Amino acid sequence: MDADTALHLALARPESMAERSAAEWAPLLAAARESALLGTLWHLADDAGLAEDLPEPVASHLWGAALIAEHRSQALVWELHRLAEGLLSRMSPGVALKGAAYLAAGLPNARGRLANDIDLLFPRSEVERAEKLLFFEGWSGTHHNVYDQRYYREWMHELPPLVHQHRGTTLDLHHNILPETFRGHPDPARLRQQSQALPEPFRFRVLCPAHLVLHAIVHLFSETEWDRGLRDLYDIHVLLDHFGARDGDAFWEHFVAEAEALNIAWMAERALWTANRLLLTEIPPEPVKRLARARAGIALRGLGRWSFVHGLHTRAGSITPRRDAVARGMLFLRGHWLKMPAGLLARHLFHKAFLAEKPETATAQPQPDQHG
Amino acid sequence: MRIADLGQTRLQCSLAGRGLYLRTGPFTSRIQSPIASVARSIESLYRDFEVADSQGFYDFHCELRAPRSHRRFYRPQVLFLSDRRSVFKPLAYHQAYPMLEWGLNWCIANQVPHRLVLHAAALERDGKALILPAPPGSGKSTLCAALAHHGWRLLTDESVLVDLATSEVSGPARPVSLKNDSIRVIRDACPSAVLSTPIADTLKGAVAHMRPPTDAVRRGHETARPGWIVFPRYQPGAPTRLKPRTAGSGFMQLIANAFNYAALGARGFHSAGRLVEQSACFDFSYSRLDEAIEQFDRLADGR
Repeated sequence: MDADTALHLALARPESMAERSAAEWAPLLAAARESALLGTLWHLADDAGLAEDLPEPVASHLWGAALIAEHRSQALVWELHRLAEGLLSRMSPGVALKGAAYLAAGLPNARGRLANDIDLLFPRSEVERAEKLLFFEGWSGTHHNVYDQRYYREWMHELPPLVHQHRGTTLDLHHNILPETFRGHPDPARLRQQSQALPEPFRFRVLCPAHLVLHAIVHLFSETEWDRGLRDLYDIHVLLDHFGARDGDAFWEHFVAEAEALNIAWMAERALWTANRLLLTEIPPEPVKRLARARAGIALRGLGRWSFVHGLHTRAGSITPRRDAVARGMLFLRGHWLKMPAGLLARHLFHKAFLAEKPETATAQPQPDQHG
Repeated sequence: MRIADLGQTRLQCSLAGRGLYLRTGPFTSRIQSPIASVARSIESLYRDFEVADSQGFYDFHCELRAPRSHRRFYRPQVLFLSDRRSVFKPLAYHQAYPMLEWGLNWCIANQVPHRLVLHAAALERDGKALILPAPPGSGKSTLCAALAHHGWRLLTDESVLVDLATSEVSGPARPVSLKNDSIRVIRDACPSAVLSTPIADTLKGAVAHMRPPTDAVRRGHETARPGWIVFPRYQPGAPTRLKPRTAGSGFMQLIANAFNYAALGARGFHSAGRLVEQSACFDFSYSRLDEAIEQFDRLADGR
């Protein structure tokens, strides 16, 4: 079995990990490492009672990754407490999004998940006040040039990322879940109104179950870079599974109604199809039927689905690297096309190509001699 | 089966084909490369290393090849790929073998989450580990290569692995990287050492690799108890001097040389803490290698 299929199966049916041979495990680990899912696999294997039976080196890699994820989670929770106790307590509580929300709400996809930055949602009118308050606690802005400032503050759904001066943690302040310039954009008041308080001692709120999943969907299906997309798809899979099992039809009813109310039923339709196709997510017939109205036309539907499946392949584990590269290119164009109207997009790409300073990013490749 | 038993042709075939499964200490690396200089260097420097089953597990997947662009013909370059992704800026084609060594170091530093990984050299004597953490230019590798031929068993010259539960020390016992003047120094001090032909004009100047002693390779899976942590500093003209360092400052200096200390959180702290508590910490400055070797003999003998 190829590594990507084996990884999808491990996520969908953890007991399948018992059938992997040593030769299959190596590329499977590489694919999981690339998707930041090693720690997740450890917990899935452990829950399925397989942890003892894994080959020794496999168990070491998975267990080590789970350790690192655990430490990151502890650090993130600590950071959330600092934020809640600090100057932000002068404002009405913000809504924690993504990793921070999964962790604080104790959702099943949080275990083993490598949390990166903290995302908080405030009303548009208050988000810059939050930024100013946080400055006094050591959070300073990035992206200082005029163009980038305008890009974020006028067109995006979040401010330029804040970085803590001493700890290096990244904090994103959002006022919506999609850019202002995005085709069809949701009403953020609706998200905040239905948000739920977290249990003590957290002062932040989290989105209601339907919005939580819809945000995970929006995050992946508006993306231009699908490199770690499988992790996002796994979030969608686990959240649907969890809330569907807990609240049954009531959850699905609310999910579809909210997808429509927020103008993102079309993204939800694509997400349900993809999650079911790759991770065997169980979806009742009713929501599928109701979301079918939001399907793309027959010609684009096939192409879109083909590019989602191939775009979610890993570089380490795929057996169709050329097709995946084409799909990634298509998804890149699609993401940009959705993000901005054509005129603005042309202007933005022109700026990025010819006028913008080339940043010295952390992703730049290092010189090899730093290792020897 | 060892590399020496494999023979040149089969070695080249596996490197150019599905890959050579090379066992180094606790790790198996799958290495693919059609480049002749890589095959030649592996044949010579990894002579005593074990070849693992090519139907089995591997920890790291490395590939060295020319870029698929005009740079495979015009002033040719070489890329290092880990899990099919290029991780470094390309180097000139003739530097392929040093790039493999640097790349394998990168893999250990970035893809080993279950051990505390220190940027340091380490050797063993009587079951006890001598750890030499130091920044480049401190003479760490030179000292390590010399000690490896004077009564100490080589554990590693670059990446020390510390067990998170027991703080036992191990290393992959791979070839030792020597730069510029240290190549001549080691040739003089250790006549039995086998060195690769130096490659000039790398980012670090001239680079050669030393074949690890056979005994060190055969015992590559044996761990060592914490013994000594010595921070070496080569200073031209300086007298040989070993000065005790407090455990606290030794700890701080040790974690400054760790790759994944911060990522491991409390476990990294306890592992490094146990290692320092069970070791004696020193600062060491030297300029003469023979005196340095004597000094470390005295340290091992408890004199």
